[in-house]
Amino acid sequence: MNWEIVLLFVAPVICSLPIAFYWVKEPGSDRARKLPMLSVFGLFISFVIAIHILLMYPNGTYTIPWLPEYNINFVFIFDYLSKYMGALTAFIAFMIGLYGLEYMKHDYRLGWYWFFFNMFTASMLLVVYSDNLLMLLIGWEGLGLASWGLIGHWFRDDDHLSYVGIVGRKVGPLKMYWPPSYGGWRAISTIRVGDMPMFFAVAAIYALTGNLNISQIHWGALFTKIGLAGTVFLMLCLLMGPFTKSAQLPFSEWLMTAMTGPTTVSALLHSATMVAAGTYLFIRLSWYIHPWTLHAVPGVGVLYYIVLLLGLFSALYGASVAIGCLERKVLLAASTMSSLGLMFGCAAASYWYGKLAVLIAFWYLMTHAFAKATLFLVAGHLIHATHDRFCCGDLNLARKMKTAFIATIIATIALGGLPPLTAYWVKAGMDTVMHHIVEMVGSLPLDLLLITSLLYSAFLAKFLSLNFWKGDKYRLHLHGEKLMPLAYACVVSMVFLLLYRILTGTDPLVETHLLEYGLDKDSLIVGLGVTGTYLFALVVPRIRALSPIGTFLGDRMYLPALNDFIVPSIGWAISKLIEYTHRAIDWFCHFGLPDFMLGISRRIRAIQVGYMRVYMKIALAFVMAAIVVSMLGWL
Amino acid sequence: MMLLYVLLLPLVVTFLTPLMRPKLATAVSAVAFLIPFAYTVYGLASGLVVKIPVVDIVRPIGKFYILGDQVSFSFALAICLVSAMVALYSLPYMAHRFEEMGKELESEYRKYIFFYNLYATSMLWLVFSGNFIMLYIFLEISLLASFLLIYMYGYGDRRKVATLYFVWTHIAGMLALIGFLMTAAANGSLAFDAIAKIGFVAWLLIFLGMIIKLPGLGPHVWLPWAHAEAPTPVSALLSPLTVGLGAYVILRAYLISPWFIKAYTMPIFVYGVISSIYAGFMVFRQNDYKRLLAFSTISQMGYCLIAFCLGTYGIMAVIIQYISHAFGKAILFMTAGGIIANYHGLRDITKMGGMHEYIPTISNAALLGFMNLGGILTVGMFGEFFILKGVVDTFGLDISAILAVVFVFIISGLYSFYTYKRIYCGKPAGYEKVKVNRLLDTPLFIIGIVSILLIFPPLAAILLNAVKAVIAKVAIATIGGVAP
Amino acid sequence: MLEFSAVLALVVLTVGAACSLKDARISLATSLLALAIVLAAAVSTPQLFMYVLLVIAIGVLTVFSMNVKENQMSGVDYALVALITVITVYVAYTSDIAFVLAAFVIASVPTYALIFVSTDGKPHVDVAIKYIAFMVLATVLFIIGTLLLVYSSSVKDTVLYTLGFVMLILGLGMEVGCAPMHEWVPDVFSAADPLPLSVIASITKIVPFIAAYKILLLTSLPQLNNLTLFVAFIAVISMFTGNIGALTAKETGRILAYSTVANMGYIIATLAVITSKNYLYLAFAGALLQLIVNAFGKASFFASIKTDGCSRPLMYVLALSFIGLPPLMGFWSKFFILTSLVGAGLVWLAFLLIVNSAISIPYYLRIARNLAKDTVPGKVTAIALVASAAMLITVLPPNWFINVAKLVIGGV
Repeated sequence: MNWEIVLLFVAPVICSLPIAFYWVKEPGSDRARKLPMLSVFGLFISFVIAIHILLMYPNGTYTIPWLPEYNINFVFIFDYLSKYMGALTAFIAFMIGLYGLEYMKHDYRLGWYWFFFNMFTASMLLVVYSDNLLMLLIGWEGLGLASWGLIGHWFRDDDHLSYVGIVGRKVGPLKMYWPPSYGGWRAISTIRVGDMPMFFAVAAIYALTGNLNISQIHWGALFTKIGLAGTVFLMLCLLMGPFTKSAQLPFSEWLMTAMTGPTTVSALLHSATMVAAGTYLFIRLSWYIHPWTLHAVPGVGVLYYIVLLLGLFSALYGASVAIGCLERKVLLAASTMSSLGLMFGCAAASYWYGKLAVLIAFWYLMTHAFAKATLFLVAGHLIHATHDRFCCGDLNLARKMKTAFIATIIATIALGGLPPLTAYWVKAGMDTVMHHIVEMVGSLPLDLLLITSLLYSAFLAKFLSLNFWKGDKYRLHLHGEKLMPLAYACVVSMVFLLLYRILTGTDPLVETHLLEYGLDKDSLIVGLGVTGTYLFALVVPRIRALSPIGTFLGDRMYLPALNDFIVPSIGWAISKLIEYTHRAIDWFCHFGLPDFMLGISRRIRAIQVGYMRVYMKIALAFVMAAIVVSMLGWL
Repeated sequence: MMLLYVLLLPLVVTFLTPLMRPKLATAVSAVAFLIPFAYTVYGLASGLVVKIPVVDIVRPIGKFYILGDQVSFSFALAICLVSAMVALYSLPYMAHRFEEMGKELESEYRKYIFFYNLYATSMLWLVFSGNFIMLYIFLEISLLASFLLIYMYGYGDRRKVATLYFVWTHIAGMLALIGFLMTAAANGSLAFDAIAKIGFVAWLLIFLGMIIKLPGLGPHVWLPWAHAEAPTPVSALLSPLTVGLGAYVILRAYLISPWFIKAYTMPIFVYGVISSIYAGFMVFRQNDYKRLLAFSTISQMGYCLIAFCLGTYGIMAVIIQYISHAFGKAILFMTAGGIIANYHGLRDITKMGGMHEYIPTISNAALLGFMNLGGILTVGMFGEFFILKGVVDTFGLDISAILAVVFVFIISGLYSFYTYKRIYCGKPAGYEKVKVNRLLDTPLFIIGIVSILLIFPPLAAILLNAVKAVIAKVAIATIGGVAP
Repeated sequence: MLEFSAVLALVVLTVGAACSLKDARISLATSLLALAIVLAAAVSTPQLFMYVLLVIAIGVLTVFSMNVKENQMSGVDYALVALITVITVYVAYTSDIAFVLAAFVIASVPTYALIFVSTDGKPHVDVAIKYIAFMVLATVLFIIGTLLLVYSSSVKDTVLYTLGFVMLILGLGMEVGCAPMHEWVPDVFSAADPLPLSVIASITKIVPFIAAYKILLLTSLPQLNNLTLFVAFIAVISMFTGNIGALTAKETGRILAYSTVANMGYIIATLAVITSKNYLYLAFAGALLQLIVNAFGKASFFASIKTDGCSRPLMYVLALSFIGLPPLMGFWSKFFILTSLVGAGLVWLAFLLIVNSAISIPYYLRIARNLAKDTVPGKVTAIALVASAAMLITVLPPNWFINVAKLVIGGV
């Protein structure tokens, strides 16, 4: 058991080391181009182990000593969440790895790419399986670092295909296009802002409880101890990590420009790792905090209400932006943000609704992961085939890329919440939850959810339509890819597995709850509405008359100003001020004071006129003065 | 006694290496520091505490002895590894530098390696000194050796910069010396085990002196000059190891008589935070790679000042932070040197961009270095963790204190990656791709790998358990200590 | 034994000086012989042997520095230098005020002749007059001060005692070149021939201080406690004048002049500790060691000026020793001084000393740079080598020196 667990995390990293080193030595050589196979093999090992864990391991924790004297250890937890999530992560990573073999074949800096890709996966697995918060942080930091490395992978900024936005476009002081190196910087800078408060919160939890295992901490006692303000502050700090990683408002910008990375990275980033890590952590925390039992503890309610609204507003924002987007990947990115918001919102509703809300959020996470991975992989394939970042394509393209076309249809329907595919049942669960809590928190959450759902299906249909039916002109460069279609076909098929579990009610926790919710009358009405918007958007993907609104939405409501203008301006102003201070001190110490000394020095030397009588006068005057003064009793 | 031989080894080697040819001298120097490195790991793992008497001086000074405890070993860990690796790095770098200065390698290198080893050895001995005067002597020897290296091989107006460095650090040392002497007058001895209490003025002088050395905001102005204009291998010892020794001295005084820091926790804390943020912002504005790193050093040393105020866990953080910063900054200075050596003195960041294209190994090493500064996946992570825990222990959930510390950490992370982006990413600046000398990149990776290994078992447990032994000491000192 | 050796040494010197009219080399040999006799005699007092050895070493160095180039009184000059050396040794052995005063005069008078020395045939009359005028005034003040001290301490007259003390300190200050009576120093040091200066700036400074210490200790009254502030005052002025003045001085000789003023300031500062029983010895040890460092360094530097420079590493070792870096001797002298000042409660004075020590760094480095050149074997190189080696004998902490100092100040 021991070696197997270690291997789960270490195998991908070790297997990517050969190419990491060899590529530096002989970049682009034939042998170096074969080594990615080994990296993917490492992912395969993880995949096999994750499946093994899913099927064979008993629930519980497993400990490997790390810092036993501090009561901090590597504690791996195997429960419902981690088993599913782990298997899902490993599976998607492996599939994307396969896809990447073909997608990245002719690219540069493959050592970097594969090392960080595998490290990305390993870090996510660490986050998924860890019960200890400090150990989780290692994975968490690994995610941040790897995402930075991968988003900025095309560091040369020389290929406009890797940019986000229309190159050269400016709005006011804002440059509305972002090269990869800038995308990487935006990602890591946002994430650091979130990680540090989270790091603090972890340390604070350790300081206050002496324990870092999520499943063992007495959360209720902790919250009671630190009171309302303390609870809200501490937990918001802790959730700053998930908020930034999962790109909730106002930290969403990095996710949009994260599209500067290779598509494989986007696919992984948006489905099973990184952004999912944020929501996964919140789900896991809620799972063990049992907020629904803590109504007596002050602060918890406030906290969950904040998360609920933040999540749902982010969901609405993301969906609106996606409506206005014309870039394939950015559209999908905005939709991811929207989905993440829904997950946060739904999981936060557990405070009023109970554990089932968390479970629904988790199921939505899984559904989203498979569907979104598929869409990204298809988008990557399309970009490869058309050499265009923007939506374009027609039925002719659909005929030539049948697998992609079918996969997109399935994924959009499954994710959009059209009956009877997977997301419908899950979203029906969400509707029920939000409907149920109307009495407690008002109808705002429900309204937000419904609007988001409608927009969501609309832009998915738009994506389908603009790429395979009614899109712009394009030029096709098919290279006879085999692995890429295989990979997304495999991934998309997984939504049926989830559907099967829901419909048969065989999942031990979900049982037949989702089935019941889905068959509810209200849910069916919502489902029909969603289907209606989907079909409408499919037929009318673009409304020219509304293009100013579309531009406003597509420019992400000018939120980039926060990252690119407001914060940097403040920073530069402060640093300028500081620099002047520094110069003043520096001048004083290294020029002013020495010059002053030199001035005195010259005056001291000015005595040396060379005339004996002057010297004698001075010396005798001093002697006399000293004697007189001493005689006056002054001394 | 084993410790004595281990410490004598680099000392003897210091005097032997000038007689050797450059390659052999380099190899011997590296080995001479790697053996003590292995011993320090052993010392940490076994919880060793050694006292070896050296000589007994007249009354107010007391006996000199070598003290090897967990604090010494922790600091020595960083000193030995960095010194060994920088020694290896020196050979190709200084060959380039001598060529640039029109000097002959064979004869100049003899001088260089002598002063280099003297410098590193004196720092190593410093952390094993059991008497403040002994400590002061090694402090000044390290100053002398580093001064001469800057004076002889520095860049820019090297004589002026070297003199400036000398003046500042000499004042620092002498202020501390008066503090020590006052302590001596009050206690009749300066051996660590014979001092009962350090008085107010003495503590103040020691603290001020070490603030200059560390450096804190205000006296920090010397550091960007000295660290930027020193020959890079010297910068790679100066910035990672030497300035942090200021923290070591304060730590030693703290372990003996912690009342001063405890009495003035708040001002010191605020000062540390301001220093760190100030320097952090300065980093963004630098266009000279080495000067940029120098400001980052000031910012990182602010961590140490902050950590001093945070009780027992803060003290642990000081030690970890020293190690982490030493590793990170050594790597980074060596990357700066790598660019200088390969591109004829290229230091101006505005002329860089996309350097990963030309020197991928150095770029990757720089990433490791910046990870150390940001505390990402390296030993610095524990440093930050303990600082944050210390904040909660000391201030509770005080929002302003917490946000201040968190902001400090965020700034470090931001400037790290911002700098990395400026130098190594973006449109390649149009240089020739070069074949990097193996000694110009391999040592960097070794340091980087060690810093990563230190967060995983077994090294993590070895280091942190050893540091925990220090906590016990602090606790005793606090109980037995004298209130102000 | 001691008396006999002293007489013998003097006889040898006189004979040598007389014979030097015929051949200067005879005088060189006899001077060295005289110093050897003194050294041999010192074996009988092993406790003081190190002191004697160091002084003799300085003496030999200065004798050889006179030998660097032929001058108009070659031969006699060796004997004069050796005479100063012999008297410097013997002043340590006595505690008789009359003898101490005599030593003061004997150590000073030969320099009146030496100052005229030049190697181009024209004696430096101008400079010599300035020098001699100040020396005479200084000697007079010193002697009157001593007499007043002796008298007033026996009759317990505090007013006279104060007067005597002030005059003694003024005389001492003028003799060695403390500010603000230092006006002669920069002129003389830059205009006179470097060879006699290597004597005047080095070994002749030792006797006045030992003499002052001995006299003050022998005649001490409780009143002394109130007077140390005066000494501290002079010390501070001297330190600052010297160190700051040296910053802009251009000729090496002139820099050395100001350096001397500063060094005398450090040394005279130790007299402020004279009333502290516990730290007196440490203070004197610091003063004496600083004098020795000063003597070695100045002798080598002036000799090097004569040959337009000397071996690079040696010049740096000497300069760094002046700056006060461990483990060089210059560190220990400052260290002892600082320890005694702090111990006696004069922390502010110690602090000012440190500020000065920092100010001094640039110009010492400039001296070293001005004088440094490639190593060529020669007399001056040998002198500097011996001096540098002496700076390194304190790599191990010089505990022993405190005991030596105790004996020197207490007489044997």
